Amino acid sequence: MTTVSVDGLRVSYGKRVVFDDLDLELGVGVHGLLGPNGAGKTTLMRVLATVLRPDRGEVRLLGHHIGNPPALRQARRQLGYLPQAFGFYPRFTVREFVEYFAWLKEMPPARIPLAVDRAIERVGLLERADDRMKHLSGGMLRRAGIAQAIVNDPRLLLLDEPTAGLDPEQRVQFRALLRELGLDAVVLVSTHLVEDIVAACTRVNLLDGGRLVFTGLPDELIAAGGDGDSGDSPIERGYTAVLRGARTAPR
Amino acid sequence: MTGFHVDAVVLAAYAEGRLADVDAWSVEAHLDRCAGCRTGIASDASTALVVEAVAVALGGRLPMQGRVRRATGWRRIRVLVGAGPAARAAWFLSVAVTGVLTAGLAVSPAVVPPWLLLLIAPALPAVGTALSYGPRTDPLHELIAGTPQGGLRIVLWRTLAVLTVAAPVAVLAGAVTGIGTPGLWLLPCVALTALTLALGSLIEPAYAALVVAGAWAVVVLAPPVGGLAVLVSSGPGWLGVTAVAAVVVYVRREQVGRQPA
Repeated sequence: MTTVSVDGLRVSYGKRVVFDDLDLELGVGVHGLLGPNGAGKTTLMRVLATVLRPDRGEVRLLGHHIGNPPALRQARRQLGYLPQAFGFYPRFTVREFVEYFAWLKEMPPARIPLAVDRAIERVGLLERADDRMKHLSGGMLRRAGIAQAIVNDPRLLLLDEPTAGLDPEQRVQFRALLRELGLDAVVLVSTHLVEDIVAACTRVNLLDGGRLVFTGLPDELIAAGGDGDSGDSPIERGYTAVLRGARTAPR
Repeated sequence: MTGFHVDAVVLAAYAEGRLADVDAWSVEAHLDRCAGCRTGIASDASTALVVEAVAVALGGRLPMQGRVRRATGWRRIRVLVGAGPAARAAWFLSVAVTGVLTAGLAVSPAVVPPWLLLLIAPALPAVGTALSYGPRTDPLHELIAGTPQGGLRIVLWRTLAVLTVAAPVAVLAGAVTGIGTPGLWLLPCVALTALTLALGSLIEPAYAALVVAGAWAVVVLAPPVGGLAVLVSSGPGWLGVTAVAAVVVYVRREQVGRQPA
């Protein structure tokens, strides 16, 4: 079942056009979003997170049309979003931070106390739950960010570079969490680390210059690469091969 | 199965842990083989004890509940109102300074001129409100903008928090200056705040506050015919400004507090 559908999307910052006529369909599962810097990954995340309004195009999230305010509110309740960079109120504890977002996402009050602790537990931060945010390390802050994103058991989860700042052991734990979340939700993960894709994603989307140049299974991306392509792993070779193909093909 | 069974009294004593170790072991050895005696242990009283003991033991194994509060309506209001950065140090400081100025004027008009208080006090809530949201002043802006309570709803909660602190200061300032009726100082307070919210749906909230405060300064420093008291006393005028601003805020509600950075 398709739960995110983008049709004819156009987004621009002033005169700079990021997307012109982008189409995208996402179903339940973990979707990797790859692409070079400036390809439009973060912009796409922000449009799907309903933070950035597109100039044109139809965006449907979980069956809700985001141009219609009541439907938009419904969609936002089921949304989880972790931006690439996010701030925090230094005096908040981790638990207060996650609780704040539980209220902001209009969760049923009876579910909030348990959901807050469960989200913090899932990212492995329960030991530090009552520490103030300003005392956390970078990796812990990112995990607190993931906790606020998943506190409402979102049906659409958008994670922009979630593994940046995590150490290798935490990355492995995080991928296991991703696979778990992807069982019944649409999860879109942008990353620069192709090994995250192989380990955790059921599908891969590759953006380049605001165009969707590849969408398919990780194995299909691997198969696209040949021995002559640059890269240290099969999927890196597939990545460079697809990018090269997209750039030489006439637009 | 065996030929003999454990006496009911002994069984009860075992279940409640009152038997000596040696006796308990032999009862246990028998219970291993005898289903009839096992069912005999499950008297109501001891079952309740067991359930309670298990509950205590399990509860002890759960992670600490820490400071999670029960999710009541009051908790919701406290979190939504209190969480925001409305209580920024700089803004709190300016409210405190206004309080000090008010006290100074109470001592002598020569120390603090009354027009200075009229310039500052009604503009404080407008500035505080604008500082409490927006991509440049709220570190969580990007995250909050994507939530259903984000945007206008959270901005109104924060405005409420700011007005709760600033409005009493304005009334106090009104009482000390003697310009107009003190209670009426609330009207320009609310009107300037509403204007800031309305303008903040078009431009960055912090700039909106600057524009509104600047316009207010022009009005106060070049007082209309009849003096400063006219400013405070023109209630219908302020209500009109508030109403117009409210309409603008309502029409542009999707833009309030949700401007992309």
